Amino acid sequence: MGVVVKKVELSWLDRTYVWPVMKGMGITLRHFFRQLFTPTAKRYTIQYPDMKKEMPEGYRGLHELKRFEDGAIKCVACFMCQEACPARCISIEAEEFSELNITQGFEEKRPAKFSIDMLRCIYCGMCEEACPKDAIWLRKDYEVAAYDRLAMQYGKWDLMNTYAKADGKENISGDPTPSVPRRTIAM
Amino acid sequence: MDKLASLLHTSPATAWMVAKLVIVFGGVFSLAALWTWVERRGAAMIQDRIGPNRAALFGKIKIIGLAQPLADGIKFFFKEDLVPHDANKALFWLAPFLALVPALMGFAVIPFGRSFVSGGHEYHLALLDPGNGMGLLYPLAIGGMAVYGVLVAAWSSNNKWSILGGMRSSATMVSYEIGMSLAVVTIFMTAGGYDPSEVIKAQGHLPWAWNVVRQPLGFIVFFTCMFAETNRLPFDFAEGESEIVAGFNVEYGSMKFSLLALSEYCHLMTASALIATLYFGGWQVPFVQNPSVLLSVASFLVKMLFFAWVFVWIRWTLPRFRYDQLMHLGWKAMLPMSMVNLVFHAWRMSQGH
Ligand code: SF4
Ligand code: SF4
Repeated sequence: MGVVVKKVELSWLDRTYVWPVMKGMGITLRHFFRQLFTPTAKRYTIQYPDMKKEMPEGYRGLHELKRFEDGAIKCVACFMCQEACPARCISIEAEEFSELNITQGFEEKRPAKFSIDMLRCIYCGMCEEACPKDAIWLRKDYEVAAYDRLAMQYGKWDLMNTYAKADGKENISGDPTPSVPRRTIAM
Repeated sequence: MDKLASLLHTSPATAWMVAKLVIVFGGVFSLAALWTWVERRGAAMIQDRIGPNRAALFGKIKIIGLAQPLADGIKFFFKEDLVPHDANKALFWLAPFLALVPALMGFAVIPFGRSFVSGGHEYHLALLDPGNGMGLLYPLAIGGMAVYGVLVAAWSSNNKWSILGGMRSSATMVSYEIGMSLAVVTIFMTAGGYDPSEVIKAQGHLPWAWNVVRQPLGFIVFFTCMFAETNRLPFDFAEGESEIVAGFNVEYGSMKFSLLALSEYCHLMTASALIATLYFGGWQVPFVQNPSVLLSVASFLVKMLFFAWVFVWIRWTLPRFRYDQLMHLGWKAMLPMSMVNLVFHAWRMSQGH
C-alpha cells in the first residue's frame, strides 16, 4: 500500500531563495552577537586547564578511603570490594592491629596495604556498592594521570589523602593509636 | 613623496608606484592572513563556540588569539614539504603561485581612495592609474585565470580526488561567468565606461544612487557569482571533505598548502573590493560630497571588510550546493536574471533616464 507523501508547499517568497537565506543569516548573526557579548566564564565551552567543570553529585571519580575523626581508617579489610571489583584492580593485605578488640568497641582488622591500580580501574563504583562500612567512596576528581605506570598504583596513604586538600583536612601518613571506641556492641 | 623618491634615487612616479605596491599587496596579504583568524573566530561564535584564542606572543601576550595566523605560518613553514612521487613536479610547484598571483593581481585596478593633487602631481590611489584601457575588465579576466591555479594543482598532484575537485571547479566556472559578466556589463552601460573611477563617479555619494539600489537584480547575481568565483561555501566544489577527501589540495602540505589557502582569502579580499567598487560606490563616503583622502580610504576599507565578513558569515550559514545545482542556478536563474537586468536598463537608458 502506497503512502502519499505530502510535500511542503513553499511560498513564492521562500522559492526565491534570497529571503530564506536572509532569515538564516539573521539567525547566525543573533548567535554571533549573543556569543560575543557573553563573558567567557558564562559560555558553553569550558576552557579546561583554566576552568574546570564542577561534576554532578554521584559522579564516579577518583577513590577516597574514608577515615574517622581521629584519622583512623574506616576500612576493616573485609575484602568485599576486592571481590566485587570487575577489573580486579584492588589488592588488600589485612592486619590485626591492637589488643583492643570488638568487645571493647573496636574493629580488629584494618588493611596494612590497600592498593588500587588506577590504570585498570574502570570507575564502575562496584567497590563503593560492596563496602559494608562505607569506607571507600568514588568522588569528583577526574584528573587521574601520571607520567609513569608506577605512579598510577595508589597505595593506602595515597587513597586516604586523595581529597584531603579539597575537604580541608590534613594529610595523614600513619595510623593513629585508637583511643575512642567506634561503636558499642551489646555482647 | 619627493623625499621618498630622493631616498630611493628614482623619480617620484616610481617611488609612488613602489609605495603603492607595498601598501596594496602587503595590505591585502596581511588582511588575508588576518581573515583566516576572523573566519575561525567568526565560525566559532556563530556556532556558540569560542575559537582560537590561545595563541600567544612569547607564551604570554594573548590578544584574543590574534597571534594564531603567525603561529600557523611558523608551523606551515617548518612542515615537511612533500611532493608525491608521481606528481608533475614543475606544475606541482607552480600551482600555488598560479592560484595566488591572480587573486592578488585583481586588486590592481581598484581605486581604494580618492585621487589627490600634491606638488603639481596627481596621485591616484590605485595601482594602475585610471585610463589604462583595461579598467574593470581586468579583474574579471584575471578572476577567470584563478581557476587555473585550482586546476593545475589538482591535475599535477596526480590524485583521483584532487582531479575530481579541479574538474568540478572548472566545470562550474563555465556556468557562472556569463551571468556575472552580463551583470557587470549593465554597470558599464549605465556608467558609460568600464574604468573603475568612472563607475565610482557615476554612482555619486548618495547611497540611494549606488548601483545596489539601482540594479538590485544585478547585485544579487554578481554577489552570488563572487562566491562561486572565490571557491567558497556554498559553492566550494573544489573541496569537499565528505566526497573527495580534501579536494584539489589533498596532496599539498607545508608552505605550498598555506599559499593555496591564503590565495583563497586574497581572492575573497579582491572579490569584496570588487563588490564595494561596483555596487557600493567604492571610496565614496555616504552624504559627503568631497571627502578627504583618508576618509575615502577608510570608507572603502569599511565597505570591503564588511563584505569580507559577509563571505565568512554566509559560509557558516548556508549548506553547500551540489555542483549540478550551481549549474542549474547559473544557467537557468542567474543568466536570465542578468539578461533581464541588462535589457531593462538598456530600455531605461533609451527612454532617456
Ligand atoms: S571502581 Fe570498579 S574497577 Fe575501580 S576499584 Fe572500584 S570496583 Fe574496581
Ligand atoms: S574498603 Fe570497604 S569493602 Fe573494601 S575491604 Fe575496606 S571495608 Fe571492606
